[in-house]
Amino acid sequence: MPSCLEISLKPQLIDAHGAGVAKKAKSYFGIALDSVRSVNILTLDADLSDGQLERLRTEIFTNPVIQVSSYAPLEIDFDWVIWVGYRPGVRDNPGATAVEAIEDLFGLKFTKDQAVYTSMRYCCKGKGLTRRDMETIAKEILANDIIQQWKVFSKEEWDPKTGVGVVIPKVKLDHEPSVSTVSISSDEELMRISDERNLALNPNDIPTIRSYFLREDVLEARKEVGLSEPTDVELEYISQARSDHCNHNTFGGKFFYTDLATGEKMVMDNLFKSCISDPTKAIAARKPWVISVLWDNAGVGKFDDDHYYSITGETHNSPSNMEAYGGAITGIVGVYRDPMGTGKGSKLIAGTYGFCVGPRDYDGDLKPRLTPRRLLDGIIEGVKDGGNKSGIPTAFGQVCFDPGYLGKCLVFVTALGLMPAKVDGGPSEEKTTSPGELVVMCGGRVGKDGIHGVTASSEVFSEHTPAGHVQIGDPYTQKKMHDFLLEARDQGLIAFITDNGGGGLSSSVGESARFSDGCKVDLAKVPLKYDGLDQWEIWVSESQERMTVSIKPEHEKAFFALAKKHAVECTVIGTYTDSGKLHITYKDETCAYVDMDLLTAAFPQWEFEAEWVPPELRGLKEPVLSAPADHNMLLLDMLDRPNICSKEWITRQYDHEVQGTSAIKPLVGKERDTPSDGAVYRPVLTSESGIAISQAVLPAYSAIDAYHMTACVMDEAVRRVLAVGADPEQIGGVDNFCWPTIIFDEKQNPDGKHKAAQLVRSCLALRDLCNAYDLPLLSGKDSMYVDGHLPGRYGERHKVSALETLQFTTTGLVHDVAHCKTMDVKAPGDLVYIAGLTKNELGASEYYEHLGHLGLNVPKVDAKANMALYKALYKAMTEDCAASVRGVYRGGLAVHLALCSMAGCLGLDLDLAKVPAEGADRDDALLYSESAGRFILTVAPSDKERFEEIFAGLPAACVGQVVEAPVLSVKGLGGDEIIRTEVQDMKDAWKKRFGGLI
Amino acid sequence: MKKVRVLVLTGYGLNCDHETANAFSLAGAEPVRVHINSLIAGEERLEDFQILAFGGGFSWGDDHGAGVIQATRMKNNLGGQLLEFVGKGGLVIAICNGFQAVVNLGLLPGFDNDYTSRSVALTYNDSGNFRDDWVYLAPNEKSPCVFTKGLESFDLPVRHGEGKLYAEDAVIKRLQENNQVALRYALADGSPANGKFPENPNGSVDDIAGICDPTGRIFGLMPHPEATVHYSNHPQWTRIKEEKKRKGEAMGDAVSPGLQIFINGVNYVRENQ
Repeated sequence: MPSCLEISLKPQLIDAHGAGVAKKAKSYFGIALDSVRSVNILTLDADLSDGQLERLRTEIFTNPVIQVSSYAPLEIDFDWVIWVGYRPGVRDNPGATAVEAIEDLFGLKFTKDQAVYTSMRYCCKGKGLTRRDMETIAKEILANDIIQQWKVFSKEEWDPKTGVGVVIPKVKLDHEPSVSTVSISSDEELMRISDERNLALNPNDIPTIRSYFLREDVLEARKEVGLSEPTDVELEYISQARSDHCNHNTFGGKFFYTDLATGEKMVMDNLFKSCISDPTKAIAARKPWVISVLWDNAGVGKFDDDHYYSITGETHNSPSNMEAYGGAITGIVGVYRDPMGTGKGSKLIAGTYGFCVGPRDYDGDLKPRLTPRRLLDGIIEGVKDGGNKSGIPTAFGQVCFDPGYLGKCLVFVTALGLMPAKVDGGPSEEKTTSPGELVVMCGGRVGKDGIHGVTASSEVFSEHTPAGHVQIGDPYTQKKMHDFLLEARDQGLIAFITDNGGGGLSSSVGESARFSDGCKVDLAKVPLKYDGLDQWEIWVSESQERMTVSIKPEHEKAFFALAKKHAVECTVIGTYTDSGKLHITYKDETCAYVDMDLLTAAFPQWEFEAEWVPPELRGLKEPVLSAPADHNMLLLDMLDRPNICSKEWITRQYDHEVQGTSAIKPLVGKERDTPSDGAVYRPVLTSESGIAISQAVLPAYSAIDAYHMTACVMDEAVRRVLAVGADPEQIGGVDNFCWPTIIFDEKQNPDGKHKAAQLVRSCLALRDLCNAYDLPLLSGKDSMYVDGHLPGRYGERHKVSALETLQFTTTGLVHDVAHCKTMDVKAPGDLVYIAGLTKNELGASEYYEHLGHLGLNVPKVDAKANMALYKALYKAMTEDCAASVRGVYRGGLAVHLALCSMAGCLGLDLDLAKVPAEGADRDDALLYSESAGRFILTVAPSDKERFEEIFAGLPAACVGQVVEAPVLSVKGLGGDEIIRTEVQDMKDAWKKRFGGLI
Repeated sequence: MKKVRVLVLTGYGLNCDHETANAFSLAGAEPVRVHINSLIAGEERLEDFQILAFGGGFSWGDDHGAGVIQATRMKNNLGGQLLEFVGKGGLVIAICNGFQAVVNLGLLPGFDNDYTSRSVALTYNDSGNFRDDWVYLAPNEKSPCVFTKGLESFDLPVRHGEGKLYAEDAVIKRLQENNQVALRYALADGSPANGKFPENPNGSVDDIAGICDPTGRIFGLMPHPEATVHYSNHPQWTRIKEEKKRKGEAMGDAVSPGLQIFINGVNYVRENQ
């Protein structure tokens, strides 16, 4: 008989959670609630005696100082009650920890049928509240119908004896697992089955798959294990591995590129090879600090003689778009498994985030599944719980609003790890599997979660996208596993390690078995959350928090003893072999038997038509615009723009100081409120060296040319780590592409060829900048299909494509954190310098956007000139003759000078005539042009001579000085003061938009 | 010099163990990171240590109240050992999630030599959210707390969602009268925060940031002293450096107030045991 335990704060205590709900109801929907009291409900579905129930109530689940609880509904006054609980099969983290606590208290073990479920009851009070109001609060604030269910009770409907009633969201499949075979009588038949089963096989792959299974020697070998036609387990394996998400077919494709202006044609065969791996290999060969790139879960660079760092970036767009919290927490917790599975395993030392969403206050006719505001709230919270509960500092982040992301949002997550250079006397970055070693699955159990997640993210989002792939990450389980695996690594127990991400076991076992050239795995050994999963589901499930590890049989005992100490579930599910076969059984029956080299066989390359029309021929032009007269108001309005204004409320929710390693924080300045160019961490507590990390995203420029978008993003990300103190010789990059669909279709994607050309151009810029800056790509990923089909006002659906987006992350070595700088101006009397040329490059700038224009003159990167400047900057910083350093980014000089002044709470006296410029001959161009390659520096008068010596021959000039009076004063080219604004007024303008959010 | 051994708890989602151990190393002690289960299994014994550190983190995901399940597990499996350790004069420092665990264990406030009763709670911040920021702290010079001895007003980072100290009026009154309130959230000049946000980041009653037991040997606090033992941990260090430079001074290697808290504990053991 299940019991429901209700727990609530004592009535005299503030219910902060309830107050938060009331606040959102008011500000989002204008629903006025006088009060909201929240009640936690534990539904205990287990055989427990009355004595046990009372003990667990008092000893675990009720804090006598602040809480009251009861097995009967608590008497709390209300006008309406909303109950919210999970749907069956959704990960209930507090439910799982409740089981742990109860098991520990009574020394018992829950059976598979027993569980604890958590849910919430909200007691709402207010005048004139309607059922509709309650439904709105339930649906739009408290619950997402993909993962949650809810009930609304009026006063009349409420039975004080039964309360919300007993709801047991238990998964009951009542299904006998079975393997089925699939007919391959014809290409059409296989395609039909692929569509029917949601396999998402590419039509071009089908002949290759069929011809393999029809080969005589294959048929012969399969006969011996009792197989003939392919099984669903096999086809799922192929489908997962061949998906664009895992296999990167787009980047490996062949692009037929035509420049329609010149008629010039070129064939780009494999963008990944020509623009990413070839340049990186060449650069890595010149740079011994690049330890391991292009093959593992993350790239590896040298930190010092005894330590390496590992880095990678991911996106989790499709799941976040449907269930923002679940998608984002699964994203960040998931990317943290990549460094854990790099080499023999890294400790996680930092994470970063990038959120691209529609305008937060969007109120137009299009109806995305989740409004941008709700989406952003959920994403922020997901990354908060995922990062904070993992004990990993969230180092840096950015938010970008653009209507293009209404179709699908972007959630970028990046993970930085650290590992010893040597493990058990051998190189830590190397690993392999060998015949005879055990295949061990560690961490969480397997359920129906995430099935077809990989294939869903390779599709455009529509109302038919199966929602079943949304999950909720469990940082607690993963943190235990993280600690366990590091200890196992240090004891030399790990031969190979990789994470279970997209594709689940099919991908982690499939890929790791390539090293030994075979494996035999028994799916019946895989621990399940509940019975009734088909074999193929076990094989491809993406249930989170799992790693696949190869261990030598002689280490089995020690490995499992350590797992027990850390309370981590581990299971031997098979052995690695050198049979050349991927051999999967369920108990004694074979359900997959394919050649290991099947996936490297000759699958047809994807092909794309790419057509480029240069922007001037697309009708883009500079606007006809006279000079503004009120520069003060313009600056304040620019500071208030969503993509410029303060987002401190997000940063403060993220623990950026755990591990005690923070050296430059994401927020700096006298009042600790201004975003830093980058963050610096000192990951080895006994060392003075650090790693700088930062990132950039500038999708607006893609509206003109994705080549220059890419170049500017990379230059910005490089400048950001330079500004805090990174050595320009030891910077690495991570590219994360998010692109709308590039496959041309006359009806569905009429501008596909343009988007394909943009991708080619972006990759060319990536190659060019890597070569120019000697910048190796340590890691990277691509996520295509950033489009959505949104309902409009009249029932019509609109395709909304995101701007072509690249997020670029940089890491840079800091030899001694003592030379790190922050951007806040430090002392009155210091001289202000601008380094780098300001050009007439307002195209797609924040300024033009503010005035409703796009323009044509997008910023272009002069990499060679920049590099000389960057080296001088580094010299000036290491000699400590710069007091503050700031890169100039989106919004241009005006915005970033204002930020430096605000951060230092000091004024600036500046003269635009002194700004090193080329072709920018108007005040607005000088103030708001977004030319790349520039810095703002302040220098103590005593350092002036040395500073100018270092920058001799470079475009750097003193443009004014720091003053005590907190006023930003700027003299225009005409010699008059065109800006005179109090620092406090600027701060107010910059903070007012999101200042009320916590 | 006499060895001071410190047991730093790890496991089950705790996450400040490395930097807490590092802080004790810098303070001259010998820290050992010990998994809660190793202590339960008897692989390490509390009696071999002079200081026990409950560090920060998210034990059991902070589900069902921060520190609650950790306290239950330790009480059930190690309750006797803990009381023995405290009874013999061992020192306990409990930081953030550790503080939450310790009040749930009843090691604090420890009125009348009762180290098992829960009478103080650390609950959800009034703001309703997790917050990472730096706060000013005013130590109570009359407090018997051995860890805060000699400290003047200073600043430390806070990083929590459940740090609001709450107790019945009588309990608060007793904490105040016994000078068991060792640390209070303050304004920059050291005067009381008087509940003002964000100086008092969570709405703690009487701005209480840290309390000790009547002996002063058990100390719990929400801010993180272990995260500020290196000059570069301070949010304003680049400003401090430029200020000093203009006076012709170097950064120097002054002991941070965060580190001093650990040194005080270690020195106390050296001098008294």
